[in-house]
Amino acid sequence: MIKQFKPKHRLISMFVKFNEGNLDVTFLLIVLALLTTGLIMLFSAGYSYAYYKYHDSTHFIARQALFAFIGILVMLFISRIDFNCFRTWATVGIVISLILLLAVLVLPEYKPGFKRWIDLGPITFQPSEIAKIGIVLFFAWACEKWQQRLKHDWKLQVAFIAVAGLFSLLVFVENHLSGAILMALLSVIMLFIGGLNRWWFIVLVVVMVLGVVVLLAKPDLLKDYMGERITAWLDKDYDPTGARWQTNQSLNAIGSGGLLGQGLGESKQKHMYVSEPQNDFIFAIVCEELGFVGAAVILILFALLVWRGFVIGMSCRSRFGAAVAMGIVFQVGLQTVLNIFVVTDTMPNTGISLPFFSYGGTSLLMLLAEMGMVLSISRPSDVAKK
Amino acid sequence: MALKPSKTMYKRSLGVLAALIILGFGTGLVRLAKLQLIDGEMYRAKAESQQLGDRSIQALRGTIYDRNMRPLAQSATAWKVFIDPSNIKNEKMEKMSATEAEAALTVRRELVADGLSKILSVDKEEILKKAEKIKSGYQKIKSEVTLEEKQQVSSFIAENKLYDCIGIEPDTTRYYPFKTLASTIIGFTGMDDVGVEGLEHKYDSELTGIPGRIISAKNGAMGSMPIEYTASYEPQQGTSLVLTIDETIQSLLEKELNKVYVSSEGNAAYGLVMDVKTGAILAMSNQPDYDLNDPYTILDAEVLARINKITDPAEKNQAVSFARQAQWRNRTISDTYEPGSVFKVVTLAAGLEEGVVNEKTTYTCVGGIQVADNFIKCHKHSGHGTQTLQQGLMNSCNPFFITVGQRLGTDKFFRYFEAFGFTEPTGIDLSGEATPKAGATYHSRDNFGISQLSSCAFGQTFQVSPIQMITAIAAIANGGKLMRPYVVAKKLDGDGNVIEETQPLVRRQVVSAQTARKVIDMMEAVVSDGTGRNANVAGYHVAGKTGTSQKIGAGNGKYIASFACVAPGDDPEIAILITVDEPVGQVNGGQLAAPVAAALVEGIMNYMGIEPEYSEKESSLIEVPAPSLVNATVTAATATAKEQNLSVKVIGDGDHVVRQVPSYGQLMPNKGVIILYTDSRQEETVQVPALTGMRLSTVQKICNEYGLNLKIRGNAFTGADILSYSQDIEPDTVVKYGTVVTVSFKSYSGVSDSIYG
Repeated sequence: MIKQFKPKHRLISMFVKFNEGNLDVTFLLIVLALLTTGLIMLFSAGYSYAYYKYHDSTHFIARQALFAFIGILVMLFISRIDFNCFRTWATVGIVISLILLLAVLVLPEYKPGFKRWIDLGPITFQPSEIAKIGIVLFFAWACEKWQQRLKHDWKLQVAFIAVAGLFSLLVFVENHLSGAILMALLSVIMLFIGGLNRWWFIVLVVVMVLGVVVLLAKPDLLKDYMGERITAWLDKDYDPTGARWQTNQSLNAIGSGGLLGQGLGESKQKHMYVSEPQNDFIFAIVCEELGFVGAAVILILFALLVWRGFVIGMSCRSRFGAAVAMGIVFQVGLQTVLNIFVVTDTMPNTGISLPFFSYGGTSLLMLLAEMGMVLSISRPSDVAKK
Repeated sequence: MALKPSKTMYKRSLGVLAALIILGFGTGLVRLAKLQLIDGEMYRAKAESQQLGDRSIQALRGTIYDRNMRPLAQSATAWKVFIDPSNIKNEKMEKMSATEAEAALTVRRELVADGLSKILSVDKEEILKKAEKIKSGYQKIKSEVTLEEKQQVSSFIAENKLYDCIGIEPDTTRYYPFKTLASTIIGFTGMDDVGVEGLEHKYDSELTGIPGRIISAKNGAMGSMPIEYTASYEPQQGTSLVLTIDETIQSLLEKELNKVYVSSEGNAAYGLVMDVKTGAILAMSNQPDYDLNDPYTILDAEVLARINKITDPAEKNQAVSFARQAQWRNRTISDTYEPGSVFKVVTLAAGLEEGVVNEKTTYTCVGGIQVADNFIKCHKHSGHGTQTLQQGLMNSCNPFFITVGQRLGTDKFFRYFEAFGFTEPTGIDLSGEATPKAGATYHSRDNFGISQLSSCAFGQTFQVSPIQMITAIAAIANGGKLMRPYVVAKKLDGDGNVIEETQPLVRRQVVSAQTARKVIDMMEAVVSDGTGRNANVAGYHVAGKTGTSQKIGAGNGKYIASFACVAPGDDPEIAILITVDEPVGQVNGGQLAAPVAAALVEGIMNYMGIEPEYSEKESSLIEVPAPSLVNATVTAATATAKEQNLSVKVIGDGDHVVRQVPSYGQLMPNKGVIILYTDSRQEETVQVPALTGMRLSTVQKICNEYGLNLKIRGNAFTGADILSYSQDIEPDTVVKYGTVVTVSFKSYSGVSDSIYG
């Protein structure tokens, strides 16, 4: 169809240049499986809340399905693009990410107290979502570009770490703790696989451990909201402002699932107990309806996605491509793990969504675009044949 | 330009992958396993407890009927008012700031609490406290709300648009149409329809039924879930009880018992009426009793006066609580007393059955008998002289029965004592029956020597419950078959189908039918010409025995007067036991209890439709139809009346009878008076004179003079010193001429069976 399309203009070809070869069907199937499950579960988990809030049970699913549809088209389109174009995307992307992260701080608050969202009327999106892929692309590009210098030039090393720190800090300032944690960990992973000197990681690990210890010991140091969440995590009975309500209801939902679950659609906890069950806590409803078996299958699907991304990355003949593919799947894997830790009360409730499941159109669109990038990287390497 | 991934990159990526899969996904999976598989039940329970709104709908409590299906205790629909504290807020408040909303909420709560407390007379603070439980969707304010209150609440809700915060749901309330009737049997219910006393308590679980439930899923905001998730279970009406109690007989017993309780100034009076053939209790009462609809109020004026004299509040409270317990107590089964001479019929039956005495046995009473070291006196100090066995019973001669006991010997006597059921509970289907205790309520077999035997033979030095005594008497009237008494005849389900019917249970044959017959015959003689003569009811051969016993350990001058009888004598249907506890003045059973029994026999026999058979002497009691005297001349009418043993009272100056009372054909007492009106004037009235303390002839004469008809009650013909003792219309009451006044008579001599009184 679009095989014959060859951009004539050089500037365009820096951004879009098509590629042939077979994409990795396994990865595509895993993505579609997760997406389908995610949509079904979103409908199941969200219809009740949608009804209460909007008097329309399909409020969430309708939007999400539309975005999923567009997202699949976007994914397939991107999968056709030669991943070498992503290098150009990386340089532009990091700048756009930075601008958006700064802009969100000065724009009016979409939700009182939180500067996470930019409201564009019909859609809202989180700049941190864009920054995540931005940082992956940037570090993949930078680590490849300055590969040799990176080993010896400490100034460059400091600069890289400064970029990682700046981005994490900007997300943190949005009052988005989990976003900041994700950003920091993702940066560290990208630098790690990018080949940064290992001593830095020892320092970083020490800093992170110290940071966690300090925060756990003195949650007051953080802003009210975040500190409260940490205190509520440490002290299971601490609930002055309902800080634990969501977590407790999540645990009730998960526990109610048992081995085989209540059955699809049968969750009771989604009826105004688990607040916003279509969002960060959707996995609790999944556990309640599908049980331990269902939850485990979904976790395994996510793990397979990460594994397949890793295989795609390692089979790529380009270091940049490898870093992008793995960065993307590690990002998805990391976010999944953090989300599951939150809903199971393994870590404080910091507000992090579950890829493919949680409601959020732009976020899903971004995710599928990223999947498209992984598929694009899968083409020339032709991993399926190995 | 493209560089292949380095070895370092591969190794490091693999490390990240491994860490993510093992530390991340692995930990997540382990956590899920812990939450879902190990602690799952706990979380599920927590979740369910908050998700399920479980409201119960009270089942209608079963009805308690008398034997003729007259409801004695029934439940009616009432209402229950509750509030939904989570919904006291309204939509306007959502738009307000937090402090404004809080203030508005307080105003609304105040409105709800104030309104409800005024209508339902519930403490306002209490309602406010409930209204503040904002996480709750249901707080009961009041149950058993009447229709009127319910309507007021409804209009209060409508006026103030409080539809979501105040709710009304069906409830039930217990009602006892006959108030005090059979109160100590039925008992009452307390909070939430739970049986507290009597049958209401004993059969509580069956009467309660199965409450219905509405289980509905509710969401976290306390509303119902949009999905249909409601399971409802219809309430099942409780089992109804059909008693053996007959409301007519019961109220007759209570009326007569109360009269003797008041006139004797005793502590209490107990009475039982039993169907001798089945053991079914037809009536059972102890006076004073209480109003089932208001069980906490002390009904007895005397007791109340005594309590009101107490000044110390703590002491007063205790006295009130004690008095309540006392008035709720079913003394006919829970209390024990010394049966006294009534017990002689048991000794007699045993002696006859064992053949140690017979109808020809004679004994000469010299006023006492030496037993071991004691000389036991007869109540007639001069002695009864030589008597036959029947005469011994008629005189209630103690030495005679001591010898009957001694002839039986301790072994046989004790065996009959056991056989008649005095060492075990009767097994009546009521709670609180006294359990006899060897060595306490009766002499244990090991300690049953000649002295014990001798005193027991005439009913002293041991105690029985009234239900034991009447059961034993009924056994003799039932051809020697000892029955298990019962009050619940049938159990009905909600649709009125019989689910259980009590079958009369023969516990054992204690004496032969022939022996029983002989005893009954001798008991008939006691009533016709012995100490029981005041139980004589014309037309029925009442067989009975008097008893007057001294209470053990209660100090001097504390007696129990009792009388047991069966009727009709030739084929007994019912047994009656009347007991007066600690009467003042007259203490003899023959004087106090026997007339009560007589009134009962007469009433019950009439009610049961058992025709009287009058003897010659009693013929004056037969009612006659009034002759036709209208239109006759006064002289002719007077003559006609005279011919029929009737007298006349002429009112008016006319020559001819215009109207007569009673009218032609109407039944009127023999030797009665017919009022003849000779002009068209209205019926004239007359003041009823005092008619007590007089001989029958005097009473008859006065009645005829006053133009009143006399109906004779009680023992008017047997024995000497027969005087009237009560009249049904109080003296000085203004009545119409010709009105029938019932006057009761009893004999004041030859009825004593004790040295007292």
